[in-house]
Amino acid sequence: MSETRLGVDVGGTFTDLVALSDGTLVTAKVPSTPRDQSEGVMNAVNTSEVEPEAVSALAHGMTVATNALLERRGARIALVTTEGFRDVLEIARQNRASLYDLAADRPPPLVPRELRFTVTERMGPEGEISPLDDESLKATVSAVEEAEVEAVAVCLLFAFAHPEHEKKVGEALREALPNVHVSLSNEVLPEFREYERFSTTAADAYLAPRLAAYLKNLAGKAEESGVPAPLIMQSSGGVARIDDAIEDAAGCVLSGPAGGVVGAAYVGALGGYEDLLTFDMGGTSTDVAPIIGGEAQTTTETVVAGVPIKLPMVDVHTVSAGGGSIAWADAGGALRVGPHSAGAEPGPAAYGMGGEEPAVTDANLFLGYLRDGAELGGEVVLRRDLSENALNSLGEKLGLDAQETALGIVRVANAEMVRALRVISVERGLDPREFALLAFGGAGGMHACSLAEELGIETVLVPRAGGVLSALGLAISDLRHDYVRPYLAPLAEVDAGEFEERFEGMENIASDELEGPEFTRRADLRYRGQSFELTVEAEPLEKLEERFHAAHEQRYGYRMDDEPVELVNLRLIATVPVEKPGLDEPAAEGEAVSERREANFDGEWLEVPVYDRERMGEGSEVEGPAIVEFKESTCVVRPGWSGSVDGVGTLVLEKE
Amino acid sequence: MSETRLDPVTLSVLASALAGIAEEMGAVLIRGSYSSNIKERRDCSTALFDERGKMVAQAEHIPVHLGAMPEAVAAIMRSDPEPGDVFAINDPYSGGTHLPDITLVSPVAYEGEILGYAVTRAHHSDVGGMRPGSMPSDSREIFQEGVIIPPVRLVRGGEYVDDVLDLLLANVRTPDLRRGDLRAQIAANNIAEERIGELIERRSKDVVLAAFDEVVSYAERRTREALRELPDGEHEAEDFMEGDGITDDDIPIKATVTIHDDSMTIDFAGTADQVRGNINCPLPVTRSACYFALRVLLPKDILANAGTYAPLEIKAPEGSLVNARYPAAVVAGNVETSNRIADTVLAALSGFAPEDVPAQGQGTMNNTIIGGSGNGGWTYYETIGGGQGASSKGPGPSGVHIGMSNTLNTPVEAFELEYPMRVERYELRYGSGGKGEHHGGDGIERSVKVLEPATLSLLTDRRRHPPRGVEGGEPGKVGENLLNGEELPAKVGQDLEEGDVVTVRTPGGGGYGSAGG
Repeated sequence: MSETRLGVDVGGTFTDLVALSDGTLVTAKVPSTPRDQSEGVMNAVNTSEVEPEAVSALAHGMTVATNALLERRGARIALVTTEGFRDVLEIARQNRASLYDLAADRPPPLVPRELRFTVTERMGPEGEISPLDDESLKATVSAVEEAEVEAVAVCLLFAFAHPEHEKKVGEALREALPNVHVSLSNEVLPEFREYERFSTTAADAYLAPRLAAYLKNLAGKAEESGVPAPLIMQSSGGVARIDDAIEDAAGCVLSGPAGGVVGAAYVGALGGYEDLLTFDMGGTSTDVAPIIGGEAQTTTETVVAGVPIKLPMVDVHTVSAGGGSIAWADAGGALRVGPHSAGAEPGPAAYGMGGEEPAVTDANLFLGYLRDGAELGGEVVLRRDLSENALNSLGEKLGLDAQETALGIVRVANAEMVRALRVISVERGLDPREFALLAFGGAGGMHACSLAEELGIETVLVPRAGGVLSALGLAISDLRHDYVRPYLAPLAEVDAGEFEERFEGMENIASDELEGPEFTRRADLRYRGQSFELTVEAEPLEKLEERFHAAHEQRYGYRMDDEPVELVNLRLIATVPVEKPGLDEPAAEGEAVSERREANFDGEWLEVPVYDRERMGEGSEVEGPAIVEFKESTCVVRPGWSGSVDGVGTLVLEKE
Repeated sequence: MSETRLDPVTLSVLASALAGIAEEMGAVLIRGSYSSNIKERRDCSTALFDERGKMVAQAEHIPVHLGAMPEAVAAIMRSDPEPGDVFAINDPYSGGTHLPDITLVSPVAYEGEILGYAVTRAHHSDVGGMRPGSMPSDSREIFQEGVIIPPVRLVRGGEYVDDVLDLLLANVRTPDLRRGDLRAQIAANNIAEERIGELIERRSKDVVLAAFDEVVSYAERRTREALRELPDGEHEAEDFMEGDGITDDDIPIKATVTIHDDSMTIDFAGTADQVRGNINCPLPVTRSACYFALRVLLPKDILANAGTYAPLEIKAPEGSLVNARYPAAVVAGNVETSNRIADTVLAALSGFAPEDVPAQGQGTMNNTIIGGSGNGGWTYYETIGGGQGASSKGPGPSGVHIGMSNTLNTPVEAFELEYPMRVERYELRYGSGGKGEHHGGDGIERSVKVLEPATLSLLTDRRRHPPRGVEGGEPGKVGENLLNGEELPAKVGQDLEEGDVVTVRTPGGGGYGSAGG
């Protein structure tokens, strides 16, 4: 009997399941259960009708941690830090929230002033400057005890290199408060720069109790149903066992988006496309991520809900524009789109739920890209007449008719996304023309060809599993654990033996924690005096310097061969790889064109064929202008674009 | 002037594209720069101008660069620019602000015809002069503050002018960093020409030139619309700089703001004459501060270009603190006086829109410069955040940069790894924000011990005149500068012994509304 891997992804509206066995994909979709996401997860498992005994792994991506941060509904936590530095979390980096909105404040720190305590001690770059004072430790431990908190973050200066005081404080707290979760900065993130380390550690303490409660509950339900204990998606793009995920709570905040990026990389690579820009356009926002050489990229620069979390996370950039973004006329007489969104309620005017302003979806419906009368999730029916009314009333303010308004909304929305895509590419040293655009999400396929034209991209990929790409990514994710150790030294002075020893130290720990892991060694380097690092492959040591120069040139456009290079951190990625099955695309079944309808391209109404993706198969061809209706999304094939479905079910479109 | 008129959609799409080009220039500059002052603290701005020298798009990262570019472009336009040229300028008396801010201007050409200008401005961490870091607290004329660059070509017809670059780099302390940063600025200017060329090929030259005109008049319409919503009238305000580094006297700044229908005038009549110290402002600095105050009142999604500020007229008496004459020293005008100008104008503006202007914030950047000669010489420059004023919407933020700056701090751990110094305390000054229905934000206390002999420069303000509260709110606490617990003046240059502790306590923001009410 073949093994089945399940991926279950919890989104804002739906919980998606993918069951993968022998290259065949079974999917299920159930409503999400925001109060307790685990109910939706188990509903999805039950709905899928997969035999529990056949399930070899159940991987889960969730938004519990993200939401707790966004809504500031984490645990009540205390901070213990070095005397004289009580407010590092509140001062942050001193920059204000908005240049010109003087009343705007940054999101509140995770630990309020009255729960920030200090101990008398000081470590410096060379080690102890003043010893840890026992009296102050006692006083602080009892103050924390009285504060009745659920967790404590211990963050002392220079603990990344000299953790002795921090460990002592941690021991004292754990002894006095056995039921309180204690996060130590030298364990969560042993890296220099206090604000980011403290912030990451505070996030860890803030999330750990909530995450533990949720995951233990889920594990219990899984056991009752006879499926394996869930593996939890990490922000890094790999999964972890439940106990490890709880230990690494701050590493779960991008659990949701990570699955989509991993899924996109997987589907792209199956079809032979390894350099991708993913374009996931939903109702309220659009996620964009680069994939290079078939690998999701990670960054340690992520800020979630105003909280920097300096752990490796998939490099996803979010733009607040989507199908629900509302169009409006501003006081200067320009047509604008967003940032306000119609959301799910009242939704675009076409939903008939009271929305009166046209959204991007209304423009797409009016232009014939979406089908009049189409059902969404079984409840909402799209009404083109309502869209037209809304477009007309906006158009009146601008001196445009409904058609001009609709075309305008699409152009303005695309312009905003092109701008975002260009800037993120430039910031990362990437030229979009060297990438294929992989579109998914409800609206991704409708805008992909236009964006590609603007960006000079010649290939657009629309995977069959676009509606459940996150769940698919979960099902094929490797078990992964990331380790980091500081190693501040001029690269030229690094001793090969010690370098090797430090990596082996991490590998030994990893081997205890995971079964038969594979290792990837990396190192963070910088030119002397620079205030930022670049991460490169760390083996062998002799090649490190040249690799760093090259990476610097790729990312920043120049290299400084005469400048001394400094080593800052060693990183180890330990993975237990999962076999990645192929995907089979069956042959086409009969006639794929389900109807012909009028659609507007650049002002001209054309009668175009509408393909039913379900009836297409490997080798089915499409020539633009055309529309391809997927199960949960629509792809607009603009004039001048054509292509076919490949062997793994991806619609590959090329510009002539 | 272009004949083509744009529809509301093309206007919006091209406004986005032009703003996108300025942003992309910023990304290229930040990515390619060498020094952390640009790369990490983002002390830089980029902009696109039309062929008549009107700004059509700007990506600014700190407000002090807002209004300072048009003069630089005008100065270059008088120097017969040709396609392929790149000009440099930092002279505050012909388009600069203070010497560390070097501006590069390149003509943007299409098929040999100049259609506009690409401009980048960046704060270079050393441009020579009497002290490392080129931010002396005690300069008395511009020559002490660094190398003065009038409009000169760094690149002519696509070729580097090595003589000019050599002369320039011979006058600075860290020539390699300067060379790298200048090269990043040139790369940013070049991307603008490339993108404008692509835009023309997609949309035609006429449409792009029409967009230059129309985004400017569009922004002007939006500013006028916002001004029209304010009541007509005249309000004035006065505030003070506390000493110029030579004397400790109060130096008045007076602003009278008049709004008539959809136009605004700011008149600085009554402001002190220029001073002997270095807190003088060349006109572009004053203009930036006024633009900042105006932007606070405008909708936050407004575009930044010449039209945004067209409805504003600024009258600054020549030879005054806010329009200094050559060769007055100006280095602190940009970093300190600019804040007070913004404070004064905002105070006058609150007469028109009391709900939109919060109580005063700390009103200083607390410039702290410490340098030593050990290990080949070192310079540390930091600006320290403080309290923001409270508003009807809520309490003032604590420990942030307000007004004309918004740069990041140096982490304590990075600081101690790099300099022979130790941070003894870095905390909020609880209770320093003014009391009120909403409290002002708290200032910061930062104490630094030097571990070897060094020199200290402090350029600070609001050490006597506290940030004011509004609507009955109490003022914030004034700032304090201490050396081993003994008080120092607001602006001071001083030698330090090994073991000396310099403490800067930054001001709290003013409160909003009476505390009892």
